[in-house]
Amino acid sequence: METELGLKPGEIGLGTTLVAVGFDGGVIIGADSRTSMGGAYVVNRVTDKLTYVSDRIYCCRSGSAADTQAVANLVTYYLQLYAIQHGEEPPVRVAAALFQELCYKNKEMLSAGIICAGWDKYAGGSVYGIPIGGSLHKLPYATAGSGSTYLYGYLDTAFRPNMTKEETIELVKTAIALAIGRDGSSGGCIRLAVITEDGVERHFIPGDQVPVLGI
Amino acid sequence: MDMNSFLPIQVPWTPQTATSAPKQAPSFFPYADNAGTVAAISGTDFAVLAADTRQSAGGNYLINTRYQPKMFKLSNGSVFGTSGFYGDATTFLNRINQRLEWYRHAHDKEMSTPALAQLISILLYSRRFFPYYVRVLLGGLDLEGRGVVYGYDSIGSYEACLSRAVGSGGKMIQPFLDNQIERKTQTGILRAPLTLDKTKTIMRDAFTSAAERDIYTGDYVEIFTITAQGVNVEKFDLRKD
Amino acid sequence: MVSRVNVPKGGFNFDNYQRNLILQQNGYSMPKATKTGTTITGMKFKNGVILGADTRATGEALVQDKNCPKIHRMAPNIFCCGAGTAADADKVTDMVASQLELHRLATGRESRVTTVLATLSQYLFRYQGHVAAALVLGGVDVDGPQLFSVAPHGSTDKLPYLSQGSGSLSAIAVFEERWRENMERDEAIELVKDSIKAGIFNDMGSGFNIDLVVIEKGRADFYRNIETPCPTIEKIGNYKFQPGTTAVLSESFRNFVTITEGDAMDIS
Repeated sequence: METELGLKPGEIGLGTTLVAVGFDGGVIIGADSRTSMGGAYVVNRVTDKLTYVSDRIYCCRSGSAADTQAVANLVTYYLQLYAIQHGEEPPVRVAAALFQELCYKNKEMLSAGIICAGWDKYAGGSVYGIPIGGSLHKLPYATAGSGSTYLYGYLDTAFRPNMTKEETIELVKTAIALAIGRDGSSGGCIRLAVITEDGVERHFIPGDQVPVLGI
Repeated sequence: MDMNSFLPIQVPWTPQTATSAPKQAPSFFPYADNAGTVAAISGTDFAVLAADTRQSAGGNYLINTRYQPKMFKLSNGSVFGTSGFYGDATTFLNRINQRLEWYRHAHDKEMSTPALAQLISILLYSRRFFPYYVRVLLGGLDLEGRGVVYGYDSIGSYEACLSRAVGSGGKMIQPFLDNQIERKTQTGILRAPLTLDKTKTIMRDAFTSAAERDIYTGDYVEIFTITAQGVNVEKFDLRKD
Repeated sequence: MVSRVNVPKGGFNFDNYQRNLILQQNGYSMPKATKTGTTITGMKFKNGVILGADTRATGEALVQDKNCPKIHRMAPNIFCCGAGTAADADKVTDMVASQLELHRLATGRESRVTTVLATLSQYLFRYQGHVAAALVLGGVDVDGPQLFSVAPHGSTDKLPYLSQGSGSLSAIAVFEERWRENMERDEAIELVKDSIKAGIFNDMGSGFNIDLVVIEKGRADFYRNIETPCPTIEKIGNYKFQPGTTAVLSESFRNFVTITEGDAMDIS
């Protein structure tokens, strides 16, 4: 998986499972916690891939750890500037557009697959996918990272519009558990974040409590 | 704030691709280097061989084992030491032992050390274009009971010598042996032949020092002494880091 | 008047790049950099952070330095262990340490770990891994004890215990086995020492002594060579040369002062 992402020699990659699902009143994002190097060594088994970019917007990072961290830091900075200049929290589509611009303009130098999700007063909860190459897709739900290959079919089947928060948490949690079970580059714990008008609510499922599914 | 200060510099060079040939599939390379050091000194009526016992995966920083002897007794009068690819070393040893057995059946006696030296050369040269990846030393007593040491390259060129050190720490030990044994550049010194004890002392200290600077040499040093009484083995500590 | 002198602007110089490329194409190999094939570790404990390092620096198979200091003082309250290419690790930590000193003089405030982290990771990211430094950064500031690692490409990790360098796998195994939250200072020091020892003995790129720094609120104790787990073995022979062992082939004397004849010194 990591060679597909085009990592440089010795670079640390986020062989990852990322899921973001919109629901009534917000979005839920989730990720595994494995960071690995060379496809064999787990550099960090409790990574937080759900990265803050503004108070109601988070991004999920896959690809090169260094590239995605740098891009996320830059977006965070621009959104802080936006909040000051406009006197209000930035909408999710602005954050997503910033990610898209940085990823597209520097596509030769970056290996970053990003999901940007959050809540704003204009659009409510929204999910954007910015895959490698720098295109931008507004989606009802999104998945990315090496583990995503195992999830498209499941999410297409299990997703329904206007689910409740509890149903959506269960969906995201199950999806990540499924990918952890099949993808060697994903693993560790499950981290979730529920982003609504009220704020961000973090959930943590330790490694020994990750559901074991299938055979 | 300037956005450019956060973005990668367009580096004007790409060391991995600019200098190397176009990427191709990994070629056939059936060798490993298990490293380690072997040294030998010949005396008037004895020969001393020494080797460290660390075996590593070579090229990376992993130790396979801290105790894997690199020297093997071939007969009462000769000992054989190797460094390089341990897989080839054992195979090569088996071939020597097989030839020795044939020799014993044919002639009803042990092969002499000089004859063995010639045999090893022939066996190495038989693989001229697909060599055994080993550096070999042979030490023992000749037909007159004098100490002899033979050094080889990996395809069979060989010569008798006073001292020889090969392997990962060989380049460090050889000058020290030259200085202590041949003493070529020293003037006004007593040129008495080395005693067995003094020779063993030099050997031990040579390995103690090599282990300080060569990361592939360490753990233990084994010292084989070959005298008219037979082969004697001693083991001493080296640093283990 | 316009100055004709080219004043160096700082930064890297690529003048010889094209020449070296041609040399390499003609079969000349470039000189190898000293790598600190290293074990460096860090952990949080009850009152702060402890960083540890071995002291071996290697160039290929050869030990270049037996007692190489790998723990760098970034600020009185922040330390940083460096692995990877020795020159890169030394330079990048020195540069940031100097920036921090100036920043402290300008602001009159204690340096913060996150400042160091941001500076280091932004610098390394810009050089895309060509500045090959892997770092363990620890310190105590207004936000309390903090511990980070920075990889050569500029990614960062925040963990309660971590390791870097060629011996990092051996070292992290010790932490995975024995690390607990809120350990006491003494047992934490022992654990860090044991993690470095695991690297020293099992990784050939690491060796010799253990350096340690314990950072707590308001104090940092740096222990250089706190332990020598593998002492040098004494030589048993005597290799002193008698005077005259080296033959004198020719002699020449030269006076560096002009001796002026004068009255003999009164030595009565």
